[in-house]
Amino acid sequence: MGRILIVDDTMFMRTLLKNILFSGGHDIVGEAADGAEALARYQELKPDLVTMDVVMPKMNGIEALKAIKAADPAAKVIMCTAVGQEQMVKLAVKSGARGYIVKPFQAPKVLEEVKNVLSA
Amino acid sequence: MKSVPVKVEHEGRWVPTTMGIAEDRFRIDLPLKQEVPYKSVVDLEEKKNQVIITAGADGETVYRIASVEKVLAVLKKFIITQASAYRLNAFFMSPAIRGGVLVQNAQWEKGAIAVMKTGIWFVSQEKQVCIPLDEVTGIELTSREIQEKNLDVVKIDHLIENELVTSFVLCPLTTLQVLYNFLKEATHDTEIREEIDPLTGQVAMLVYSGMDSSAIENMLKLSHKELEAVYEKLLGSGLAEVLYVRKEVQLTPKGVRYISESVKSPID
Repeated sequence: MGRILIVDDTMFMRTLLKNILFSGGHDIVGEAADGAEALARYQELKPDLVTMDVVMPKMNGIEALKAIKAADPAAKVIMCTAVGQEQMVKLAVKSGARGYIVKPFQAPKVLEEVKNVLSA
Repeated sequence: MKSVPVKVEHEGRWVPTTMGIAEDRFRIDLPLKQEVPYKSVVDLEEKKNQVIITAGADGETVYRIASVEKVLAVLKKFIITQASAYRLNAFFMSPAIRGGVLVQNAQWEKGAIAVMKTGIWFVSQEKQVCIPLDEVTGIELTSREIQEKNLDVVKIDHLIENELVTSFVLCPLTTLQVLYNFLKEATHDTEIREEIDPLTGQVAMLVYSGMDSSAIENMLKLSHKELEAVYEKLLGSGLAEVLYVRKEVQLTPKGVRYISESVKSPID
């Protein structure tokens, strides 16, 4: 089970992910609503894993991913975006993302992906 | 023609018999005693370990055949490649995304697509995949980077056991356009025409994600009665259907289409 930071600009999606991850026995150590806050929270909390939305204000998810990886190359980040933005995958993987989930998502699949990334 | 054991539905019950599968036709022995050329087949459906074959110009004869996977795979391959259907050579990737997670070993497969009455079939050396039209939740003509080139593809979102799956089809643009138009027309019943208020949209998203009623009530701070009223709206608009008790629902293909479209502009 992991200590997870959830990054998404909508409270609804953060709450949904929080519920799914909590039901899988994970510990939600923090939340952030944009990329800049994500970087600050990452450095403060040092979570085992980050779920990162791609489209966000201030600093988007890809920029935040790059910044987190620059600060901690071992960081485990799963990117999370909407259907139709799958082209972001290559960019995210190039930037160091370990996994990718596409909204709308289903709880068992999210937990499976988180488990895979945490155990890798 | 080699005979293999199968069961066929005859006068409302399953009867053990044998069937022969040849290059251009199949034969079902007594009690049906029928020979059916593949080119007379107009529809093919599959359900677990059975296939439902509709043949005849007006689809007047339906054969339900149950057998082991190996036998059905051979039969399906002959039917898909020879039946009376719109067929095209294409590359496909199915599934590419499942339940919101990218399928790690997904790859483009060279094969054919047959568009039948109730579904479209992908067939390659390795695979036979059926997408029933009533399980399609979204179609998009889009582009995708393949071998460092941006190529036109049709993206099909569909349900498999109530899980949203995304598949891609790659072929020349003019053919893609025909396929896209056909799918658009065939699935227009699930297009969202009603106005869905934000709360109902949020509940739909939570239902899809696998949250039960009490989790939804807690997350959205709703009373039991308020959630019941939202369920009524979902049921009334055809976005959801009753699952096993009055208070639990699951999304219909139309409902999944709605939430898939709604995440493009996030539900706040």
